[in-house]
Amino acid sequence: MATYEFIDHKFDVVVVGAGGSGLRAALGCAQAGLKTACISKVFPTRSHTVAAQGGISASLGNMGEDDWRWHMYDTVKGSDWLGDQDAIEYLCRNAPAAVYELEHWGVPFSRTEDGKIYQRAFGGMTKNYGEAPIQRTCAAADRTGHAMLHTMYGQSLANATEFFIEYFALDLIMDEGVCRGVTAWKLDDGTLHRFQAQMVILATGGYGRAYFSATSAHTCTGDGGGMALRAGLPLQDMEFVQFHPTGIYGSGCLITEGARGEGGYLTNSEGERFMERYAPTVKDLAPRDMVSRAMTMEIREGRGVGLKKDHIFLHLDHLDPKILHQRLPGISESAKIFAGVDVTKQPIPVIPTVHYNMGGIPTNFYSEVVTKAGKNPDQVVPGLMSVGEAACVSVHGANRLGSNSLIDLVVFGRSAALRAADILKAGATQPELKHAMTDGHLARLDRFRHADGGTPTADLRLEMQMVMQEDAAVYRTSKDLASGVKRMEVVNAKRADLKVSDRSMIWNSDLMETLELDNLIGQAVVTVVGAANRTESRGAHAHEDFPDRDDAKWMAHTLTWFDDATGKVKIDDRPVHNFTLSKDIDYIPPKSRVY
Amino acid sequence: MNFRTPLSTARGLGSAKHGVSHWISERVGAVALVPLVLWAVYSCILLAGLDYYGAVEWIGNPVNATLIILTIAISFMHMQGGVRVIIEDYVYGHLTKAAALMANVFVCGLAGALAIFSILKVALGGA
Amino acid sequence: MVQLTLPKNSVPKGGKHYPAPAGSSGKTKTFKVYRYDPDKGVNPSWDTYDVDTSLCGPMVLDVLIYIKTHMDPTLTFRRSCREGICGSCAMNIAGRNTLACIHGHDDCPSDKIMISPLPHMPVVKDLVPDLTLFYAQYASVEPWLKTETPEPQKEWKQSPEDRAKLDGLYECILCACCSTSCPSYWWNQEKYLGPAALLHAYRWIIDSRDEDTGARLDDLEDPFKLYRCHTIMNCAQVCPKGLNPAQAIAEIKKILVERVV
Repeated sequence: MATYEFIDHKFDVVVVGAGGSGLRAALGCAQAGLKTACISKVFPTRSHTVAAQGGISASLGNMGEDDWRWHMYDTVKGSDWLGDQDAIEYLCRNAPAAVYELEHWGVPFSRTEDGKIYQRAFGGMTKNYGEAPIQRTCAAADRTGHAMLHTMYGQSLANATEFFIEYFALDLIMDEGVCRGVTAWKLDDGTLHRFQAQMVILATGGYGRAYFSATSAHTCTGDGGGMALRAGLPLQDMEFVQFHPTGIYGSGCLITEGARGEGGYLTNSEGERFMERYAPTVKDLAPRDMVSRAMTMEIREGRGVGLKKDHIFLHLDHLDPKILHQRLPGISESAKIFAGVDVTKQPIPVIPTVHYNMGGIPTNFYSEVVTKAGKNPDQVVPGLMSVGEAACVSVHGANRLGSNSLIDLVVFGRSAALRAADILKAGATQPELKHAMTDGHLARLDRFRHADGGTPTADLRLEMQMVMQEDAAVYRTSKDLASGVKRMEVVNAKRADLKVSDRSMIWNSDLMETLELDNLIGQAVVTVVGAANRTESRGAHAHEDFPDRDDAKWMAHTLTWFDDATGKVKIDDRPVHNFTLSKDIDYIPPKSRVY
Repeated sequence: MNFRTPLSTARGLGSAKHGVSHWISERVGAVALVPLVLWAVYSCILLAGLDYYGAVEWIGNPVNATLIILTIAISFMHMQGGVRVIIEDYVYGHLTKAAALMANVFVCGLAGALAIFSILKVALGGA
Repeated sequence: MVQLTLPKNSVPKGGKHYPAPAGSSGKTKTFKVYRYDPDKGVNPSWDTYDVDTSLCGPMVLDVLIYIKTHMDPTLTFRRSCREGICGSCAMNIAGRNTLACIHGHDDCPSDKIMISPLPHMPVVKDLVPDLTLFYAQYASVEPWLKTETPEPQKEWKQSPEDRAKLDGLYECILCACCSTSCPSYWWNQEKYLGPAALLHAYRWIIDSRDEDTGARLDDLEDPFKLYRCHTIMNCAQVCPKGLNPAQAIAEIKKILVERVV
């Protein structure tokens, strides 16, 4: 093995990832007087939050009466009761303040005539506990994530947050169950860095690229999840993968749910607005899992559109072009570029596309990472927090509602910072790091850097993506999932046979993609294993052999550990929190989920 | 090797807090030159048809003399401004740049002053 | 600084030719890609790749990914969202700065397509330029809302008309296509802020909620930071998001005049 030297850094807090949640957490920590570093493999405004379109939910009530309890009810129901209700209460109560904070930082929200933040309708968002759709999603045209991310980056600059940009995080520095920091590889000069910290906050996003067709960016490789698995920590509820109903057919680019919020609707080959059959009350504004299933059903029954009858049309052509220009300019552009469609005249060809991971690193509502130790299902892992899509708080349960992710980012990014400020002392002495803690990190890096097997990274990545696409899709069967588990075992074994062609340390994107693939594979494995294990249908996990929700047996979070050396998965579960934070709202008991 | 932080490089010496007056004078000069140059072209054609004494007499007319002086003065000022921007864009190094900027002022100033003096001499002194 | 010729060690020399892989049809396009490996200590080169574009997607980014997957895994470029919103894959394609992910290879003027990093920036590797100064210039315009009036309990009010003034500005994705297409920026990037940073400066100047407009204007009123814009308009021509930085700069100049007359 070549010799590698670390350059050392010492901080109070190190945030890994500079998307919405990472920036919010870093900003909060810096403001609290903690010496904070934010490391990211891409320049902050290139993080995938930038691609969020539709909006951020909060019960501001700008478009009519609203109540955080209604928001909470919708979120619980959207989660198919798998969400932890204490965390959901925390989210929905704190949402309005979080949105006002963003506005005070300068986010260019669209406005109502009386100068307030404009809110639009979104799937699953209702008034008075499910009565009718409500306008709760605060929007900056259809570029809300972009507007938020750029504004938060600006705020970070104002608060002199220390960024380490284009540093690729390798592994967590673990010391007998305590996280002491993180190692990273600086792309532009090839140096290796050891960031020691009292607290590491993983804000690394989802792993959408485990699938062949995803709305996610190429960089959405769940590096934090991969690091957590290698650190011997479990991931939670990984079988719940959200398919967004409206990815552009072919390219997979996202068309916001806000398009339906503004009045768009879906049709099949007969021109029928089929969502009226599946969700009579809210129609096209049903939650994403239901719309995706309905679309898949229509296609299966031969009512798909196009030559192969394998997709669905999204109509916006009945809307006023002025409204389209004002509220949906971005998707009008995307539809033109990627589908060659003029939305004012033609429907957009769409298909359910992998979009979001409800699962992730289990945390409590303080954003502290938890694991199950013995009988204690809420054992905090000292020195480690996780926020955003990387984490599983779990507020989204089995299915996330549209626009609940952006609010998740800022509310829990803030909660992580508040908690860190609470439990850490700025500048406290930290124990000395030992080489034994990081030898494994270097060995892994060196192994992949010099990997000279017979399987190029891109080939293995494609193989994994096809397994996931075919065997862990919108609808799943026992047979598919068993096949998926087997095929992923094969993929996992081929990690030993990888071939990397570039041996350099400077901007070696071949090596970086290999490290990312390694992170993806562990998560893909626990996803199919978790899915095969859950013999019920709940939220985004639609099991055809077990079409009903089974609360008696499965009202529980799945925990999965992955043994990197053997590829074996250990499964356990954690109870869903059936209590709320305060007496202001009672636990919402499960009932059948109809819209 | 440059060890300045990127922000220090970007901020440089800070804002000079001037520029707008220069920008305005550039525009005002340019606008003024439009009629003046048209008039100058017209005058040249007129002068071409006159003999020496006719030309001297024409220059001696106060309106004509003033307009010629204005045209020349504003042209040279405008030229000095334009050349200055070109020098700032393309010439580096303190000495060369300072020298070029000074030379620009001197050449334009001298040429302008000479031209104006000549007009005055003709207009006031007769021939 | 004006450099009309490349320094000796930056002149591209030679380059490899990669024929289309097996399974390609006879109909190929040739992509000539700028290559530079900092480890090798040799000059950059132009490598050529023959690609059967029917085997990959419609965009230039699809071609680059195809090359990386099937022909040469060492080819290095930034990419992320692949839908024109993150700004990672900005590069010079067939002589024009643009985003590889939304620029179709069929939209290029010929079947021989040159791809190089954004012009006049230091190259880290292949198509990856060093944008440190560009980002610092963005930071130097203090791109955040500045207020002194105590914050309201709820939102700062803003009329739809005032909000509309931010359209065409806030959509900037910091891809650097504009600044690196500007000759004035090429020659004077140590002193001129460039179209992207100025567009952002204007975005905050014009925001009705901001209370620091005067100081923002003061910081821009400078013969170099602002007035090095000679209205060449390349910025407006290349912006992949269809924005017009030149107009934003002109608006700043107008406001500065408004302040004194």
